[in-house]
Amino acid sequence: MSIREFLTADRAEFGWRPAVDCWLAKWDPDFSARLADAGFVGLTIPTEFGGRGLGYLHRYVVTEELLSHGAPVAAHWIADRQVAPALLSYGTEEQRNRLLPRIAAAQLYSAIGMSEHGAGSDLAAAQTRATRADGGWVLNGSKVWTSGAHVAHQIVVLARTSPLDTRHRHAGFSQFIVQTSAPGVTISPIVLMNGERHFNEVIFSDVFIPDDDVLGQIGDGWHQVTAELGFERSGPERILSTATLIFSVIRALGDVDDGIATDVGDLVARMISLRQLSISVARTLADGGDAVNRAALVKDLGTRFEQDSVELVADLLDYVEDAEPLRALLATARVHSPLFTLRGGTNEVLRGVVAKGIGVR
Amino acid sequence: MNELAQLVDDLGRRSFDARLGHRGLPDTLDEALWRNLEDTGLARLTSSQDAGPGEAAIVLSGLARHAAAVPIAETDLLAAWLAAKAGLPEPDAGPLTVAIADATETGGRISGTAREVPWPSTTIVLAARTADALHVALIEAAAKIEGHNLAGEPRGSVTFDVAVGDTRTVDVGVADQLTRRGAWARCNQIVGVLDAACGLTVAHTTGRVQFGRQLSKFQAVQHSLAAMAGEIERARAATALAVAAATDYGFDHPATDYAVTAAKVAVGRAVPPVTTIAHQLHGAIGVTIEHRLWLATMRARSWVDDFGTTTQYARRLGRMALAADDPWDVVVSYPAPR
Repeated sequence: MSIREFLTADRAEFGWRPAVDCWLAKWDPDFSARLADAGFVGLTIPTEFGGRGLGYLHRYVVTEELLSHGAPVAAHWIADRQVAPALLSYGTEEQRNRLLPRIAAAQLYSAIGMSEHGAGSDLAAAQTRATRADGGWVLNGSKVWTSGAHVAHQIVVLARTSPLDTRHRHAGFSQFIVQTSAPGVTISPIVLMNGERHFNEVIFSDVFIPDDDVLGQIGDGWHQVTAELGFERSGPERILSTATLIFSVIRALGDVDDGIATDVGDLVARMISLRQLSISVARTLADGGDAVNRAALVKDLGTRFEQDSVELVADLLDYVEDAEPLRALLATARVHSPLFTLRGGTNEVLRGVVAKGIGVR
Repeated sequence: MNELAQLVDDLGRRSFDARLGHRGLPDTLDEALWRNLEDTGLARLTSSQDAGPGEAAIVLSGLARHAAAVPIAETDLLAAWLAAKAGLPEPDAGPLTVAIADATETGGRISGTAREVPWPSTTIVLAARTADALHVALIEAAAKIEGHNLAGEPRGSVTFDVAVGDTRTVDVGVADQLTRRGAWARCNQIVGVLDAACGLTVAHTTGRVQFGRQLSKFQAVQHSLAAMAGEIERARAATALAVAAATDYGFDHPATDYAVTAAKVAVGRAVPPVTTIAHQLHGAIGVTIEHRLWLATMRARSWVDDFGTTTQYARRLGRMALAADDPWDVVVSYPAPR
């Protein structure tokens, strides 16, 4: 069964509605489980760990189909997209055996704890710290904007394991896998301006983490979290967060004049060209090449497109006879739109990365 | 850079350096460069050297990068191809151009006026479209009004009146392919001049000092440079799709039609921001004829309207998306023929 056939059949049977920003906003464990049963989760996880053992480009195609159809993918999203690759690169054999099969089955949900109150764009200012204890580490501090932490099983936390050295700000970080059920973990909501809850503040007070849950090398955390950023920055989720809104409106437009057709063509051309750029970066990364600069470009251009598309589509809604059913999608998009150019590194930071690549910084 | 790209870059650079300080309005054909292109086989790369669109793209963008004053796209991809398609004895040396026009057929004669003909003083292959056919002919004697585009490249109107018997008739579809080839060539050329504009802008902002700092050290300037680079990479990615489509399927295929349509829009929408930022970051010196920036920016701004405007292509793409069962299909591939 192709991913398209799966989506059509699953939607017909279970009645989920295509959503805007589905990879953040639509948490549906049952859908995730069905998707995994059909073989579309853990695509790049090796078969010995319960995955499909396929290439990154294969995953790319499946991901863009899920997003373009607005499928409720949030529950397994972070585990499948970020945690599995990190485990494959830096995890121990024991961790891989323990966690990867559950990720591939969409039974393990994960959050990522990076930003803090005093460390947004400037992640190296993070102050959450882990200190050595008998048989493990003790974690203290807090994280914010931790998507899905309230419904996830675990949080992958970036914490200082050595004091700040102002000459080497990126040194002394480590990554830990923290169970959300562990004593000392307090999770409280940070509510979005439309009342939705996706984000959390997570406070760690004397949380014990056994040595088995250290991810990668102590002191190597910064390198570990930045090494794979290219995939995250250049993926289809940086272009397609509003795709369902765009396509719904195009489908709803009836017989339109040339001016409207031109507006539609401009929207579609931006999508096509961004997708081609994103795919060219994906190919480079899949071949093991370096694409830091172009990956940052994809995120800057793609997320600005997502943002622009909301109001461009709002204008087109004027020409839709029965616009009412689409207004809810538009309303959600308007609320989520500021997030597009913030999450995963603000566009201002990304442009700095690009400037560095050009050689002027 | 591969061997071909290196050769093109060397030829282009040499041509640019030799003419530095002598560029004006109108610009004149770079005879020395043209001889080099003929000697190396680049002048008729696809029409007689059995090369593919991939190689042609390298030549087009590489020469454009150095603002080469030669009708390379017109000669190879358009005129020589069209003449061969029509079975006309094709001049195998010298630059060529095409004059494309809607024409009327009365009393056994085809007449009309082709406008914006590039490099009109070279040998012209006429592509005169009537209601049911495309008439192709080599024309020598024609009334021409010559001018130039914003970049100084010769452009002119060509009024023709030829006997039907002196033309070869080909299918109207050939006219569509001719336009598609022209649009495809301009996309590649525009990517070349946008690269040049970006290179000049990086160099200028790195070299110029104001407020005691290089301009490129100001964050506002860095962000403008990043925005510029982004627009160019997007245009390049869309053009790469069009090159891949032409390579895999040829120019006479719906996949190439689709990819060229998307590329023409993407490239067309990149031109205003890139040229605007290039001029903004150059300051006033960039708008003078003594500075080289205009050779890049004004080529981009002129070429963007050739072989159909950005708006026309956007409208076509919009109609494709509106007609599709699922617009997403049009984002990932060309619409299946109905």
